[in-house]
Amino acid sequence: MKASFAWLKQLVPHLPDDPRALADRLTAAGIEVEGITAYGQGTETCVLAWVVSTRPHPTKSGLRLVTVDRGEGSQEIVCGAPNVPEPGGVVVLAPLGAHLPAKNMTIGRRDIGGIVSEGMLCSESELGLSDESAGILVLPPGFAPPGTRLNDAIPETRDSIFEIGLTPNRPDGLGHIGLAREAAALLGVPWTRPDPEAPVRQRDGSAVDAVSIAIAARDRCAHYGASVVESVTIGASPSGIRYRLAALGVRSISTAVDVTNLVMLEFGHPLHAFDLDKVRGAALIVRRATEGEQLITLDGVTRALAADDLVIADAEGPIALAGVMGGASSEISASTTRVLLECATFDPRSVRRTARRHGLHSESSHRFERGIDHSDSRDCLAQATALTVRLCGGTALRDAAFAEGDAPAAVRVTLRAGAARRVLGIDITPAESKGTLERLGLRVVAESDEALTLEVPAHRPDLTREIDLVEELVRVRGMDTVAAELPSVRPTRPWGGREALLRRVRGAGVALGLSEALTFGFTSRASLAAMGAPEPAVALQNPLTSELDVMRTSLLPGLFEAASRARRHGEGSLALFTTGVVFLSGEGPNALPREPAMFAAVLAGEAPARLAKPRPRDVWDATGLALELVARLTREAPELLADPNAAPYLHPRGAASIHVHNTRVGVLGPIHPNVAEALDVDPRALIVEIDLDAIAAVGTRVPHYAPIPRFPASARDIALVVRDDVAAGLVLGAVREAAGPLAEGVSLFDRFTGQHVPEGHVSLALRIVYRATDRTLTDAEVDQSHARVVAAIADRFSATLRA
Amino acid sequence: MSDAHATIIASLEQLAGAFQASFDAAPNEQLLRDENAKVLGKKGALTAILKEMGKVSADARKSIGERVNALKSEVERAFDDRLAGIRRREREAELSAPAFDLTLPARTPAPRGHAHPISIVRDEIVGIFESMGFSVFDGPQIDTPANNFDKLGFPPDHPATDMHDTFYTTAGHVLRTHTSNIQVRAMTTQKPPFAFIAPGACYRVDSDLTHSPMFHQIEAFVVAEHVTLAHLKGVLAEFAERFYGTGTPVRLRPSYFPFTEPSAEVDIACVFCKQSDGARAGCAVCKHSGWIEILGSGMIDPLVFEQCGLDPERWSGFALGMGIERQAMLRYGIPEIRLLFDNDPRFLAQF
Ligand SMILES: [Zn+2]
Repeated sequence: MKASFAWLKQLVPHLPDDPRALADRLTAAGIEVEGITAYGQGTETCVLAWVVSTRPHPTKSGLRLVTVDRGEGSQEIVCGAPNVPEPGGVVVLAPLGAHLPAKNMTIGRRDIGGIVSEGMLCSESELGLSDESAGILVLPPGFAPPGTRLNDAIPETRDSIFEIGLTPNRPDGLGHIGLAREAAALLGVPWTRPDPEAPVRQRDGSAVDAVSIAIAARDRCAHYGASVVESVTIGASPSGIRYRLAALGVRSISTAVDVTNLVMLEFGHPLHAFDLDKVRGAALIVRRATEGEQLITLDGVTRALAADDLVIADAEGPIALAGVMGGASSEISASTTRVLLECATFDPRSVRRTARRHGLHSESSHRFERGIDHSDSRDCLAQATALTVRLCGGTALRDAAFAEGDAPAAVRVTLRAGAARRVLGIDITPAESKGTLERLGLRVVAESDEALTLEVPAHRPDLTREIDLVEELVRVRGMDTVAAELPSVRPTRPWGGREALLRRVRGAGVALGLSEALTFGFTSRASLAAMGAPEPAVALQNPLTSELDVMRTSLLPGLFEAASRARRHGEGSLALFTTGVVFLSGEGPNALPREPAMFAAVLAGEAPARLAKPRPRDVWDATGLALELVARLTREAPELLADPNAAPYLHPRGAASIHVHNTRVGVLGPIHPNVAEALDVDPRALIVEIDLDAIAAVGTRVPHYAPIPRFPASARDIALVVRDDVAAGLVLGAVREAAGPLAEGVSLFDRFTGQHVPEGHVSLALRIVYRATDRTLTDAEVDQSHARVVAAIADRFSATLRA
Repeated sequence: MSDAHATIIASLEQLAGAFQASFDAAPNEQLLRDENAKVLGKKGALTAILKEMGKVSADARKSIGERVNALKSEVERAFDDRLAGIRRREREAELSAPAFDLTLPARTPAPRGHAHPISIVRDEIVGIFESMGFSVFDGPQIDTPANNFDKLGFPPDHPATDMHDTFYTTAGHVLRTHTSNIQVRAMTTQKPPFAFIAPGACYRVDSDLTHSPMFHQIEAFVVAEHVTLAHLKGVLAEFAERFYGTGTPVRLRPSYFPFTEPSAEVDIACVFCKQSDGARAGCAVCKHSGWIEILGSGMIDPLVFEQCGLDPERWSGFALGMGIERQAMLRYGIPEIRLLFDNDPRFLAQF
């Protein structure tokens, strides 16, 4: 909402002179002035000048030398405009030194083809009065004496415009009268609402004689008023009105339409003007549309109406969408001679549904949706009627026509004495409460020590309950009048329980060298399908793009997208993780989806190495990450189970599931080449996916103290050559088994092929650490155990022992 | 004195006069030990001399024995001294050798990971509220229109819902447009008094420089008896001091939210143009106003209590909600919200 400071000041002369001061006061009371812009900045120095004579420029074609009278003498100005008026015409002169910010120009002394020009004849756009103009600004002869300051001749040329971010509960702020009332109340200065002016020409007669009005949908239209002005001439509005509208961001259309807009900007109450001669059957009916009925609206669009739409119809069909937009058939045109002005009160919800249904958000629907002041309809109509006669000429019929629907009930609210203390924590005296609310337009209807009962004016539909009045009190006195005080909060137990785990998971992911990504909850069916993720369980009615129309069943598409983008940017090395929920089918019809929490990581490219070439990441980066992560979260030793079918998006040669005590908690492995190809991901990328609800179910083991070994350990190494299709884990397991309880640990510390290792074989080097808990083992004991291990392994794997 | 006796004494004296020079000449510990062995070792000079002991009388043996013991002590002392000297010299040499090249790449204990800026800010805010006695209430991102709108007092067909362009699922549920659905869930399932904080992802059909269709909010709310606007202000002031730094005043501007009344937008004094005297000079971030809007808040509307089955005459409370993206963008100077969701490794590595 744009508001004119000059207009407000005109309505409330006691307002401060500084627009900033008013803006701050409004903002502090919840009418947020988001910005102030200067309209017509630079016009202060401009004066009106009368054209005395013109002659062509001696050397420059297209330029003319215009001699003007600027009151204190005459001067010659070089001018290139095509529309320099005849002598006697009034133009606007920007004198030497004038600065015009609209075009960022300062008027200097200029020599143009040997002629010195000291000033400029200005166009509206140069003056910042409109966005574009065809030539210089020309006013009618005799408009004002030469030398008159432009701002004096047309006060609307200079203004401060407030950009107000109005909250939807304050429809009264959508008009200057409402803002003036609010400003006066906030500043405690006197204010009276102006009475509508009387038409300069009217004749006896009633609009009823010209048109019949009927309200068929009484619940949707509380009031319908119409007035008639005859013998009008539709043309362009005078400059002052055009500038006022332009300053407020409204395009000037024609006198009659500008009138409705001006009155709307003043009262906040939208009006509509019909060409009365186009109203068929001289009848207006406010009714619901019949399903499928057609109406061409002012924007030229043919609309198929719904039975829920409220229309204004004439004898033959709809001619306007009530409160939203007029129809093309009865539009005001240059040939209009009889204007019918409508000022009505339509049901906010009805207007909103219609506006949304037809995608038509208009200045009118915007106001009706929020609830207009139905008490000022007659004044509104009277003002519009008088203004029409003033701008369009013609004669008004003295009496307007009215039809009444279901009248809104007056609202009364009781404010109890302790209400402010209870809500705000401060005491507000009854006198202050009464004073503040009365200034806002409420009327006290009953008063006692315990309570104040007030009638709410129609311009404040947001005030219906005691709490609304309490808010008014603190809004007006300022929230800074409430002292801050820390509450005593009784500690509460967390609910839902995943917060702590998720925090640990994120911490572990970061500690393990991954970077955290954040991915959207919605994704495309195509990417889920391409990776073989579960079928989407939740589809969106109104997705952002037709592609992103389902909720994810896997965190991976988002990570793949990040990986793919990073790769395109040449960032090959990647170690990303994310945590979040996926959306799976809920149980039962209409049930909300289940939202289990997951962890997913994608590794790709090379791992950094020290003083060495970077090393390509491989599946053991994935196993290491998965095992370490699960171990950190559960404090258990997870187990890895190779499983070519662990997940459809994993490469069968490296796919595995990870388990804790027989609970499957995740999967990992290289990406399946088909998926990599389909989603443009590095084909060597690695995936780890952990089900955090499964991790939560497993829980975190609390370590139990085990005595620290008191006796020394002895290590023995064993090197053997086995067939290369023997899994190292199998060998390690067999060693553990053969070594028995004396073996405290078995580790594989080297693995190589080639050199002296026969084709198809691999050399493994293991270290076994022996220790007894109750004594120091003798060399002989250790040797004996170790010999047993060596023999068993050699036998079981047909292994060759190496020295 | 027999000849043999004299010979032994002479040999001992000769040995006594010679070992020091050989010790002094030894350049390192090993050679010193070799020299020492030549004197005192099994095959050393002293052993060789003492092989002649059988040829002397018992009396002579005694005096020779005393001399031998004295000599041994002398040698051992000389050995220890020399050894200490060698070690000292070697340590000095080692200490003054060329310095390690510390400009070589460090060997990091583990590659460095990076939490997302949203997570960093989120955890910090949650931590501040937890330390004030709030606990996290975890709830779903997809919820019923009742929990997201109706029970929060959003009037039907009212422009208030324009502030929330909503994603609907084909099942008629909504992607929550704010974390305020958690207020409803808490009030309909828990018995007051309670103080919860609800961080999480929210969705609105909106995508531009400052809006992302998915974004994150943190909502904090208290429901108890005798909670007032003063308490809301107290919590806001405390939060601002802890999160934005001491000396960060808070300003409340009346505003409108369907589920709170009175409602307030909350500004903090700009943290980017703060002068040493605490005044704000004005800058681009605060649009030269000295204030930055950070969150919305208010007293829980009595209607919300009613809709959730709580008696508004008994229970009172406040709620505040903030966008985490905005806090992160302010803190880190991130110009576009999109950067937070692009997951560019070069972006993530900055945090
Ligand atoms: Zn600043």
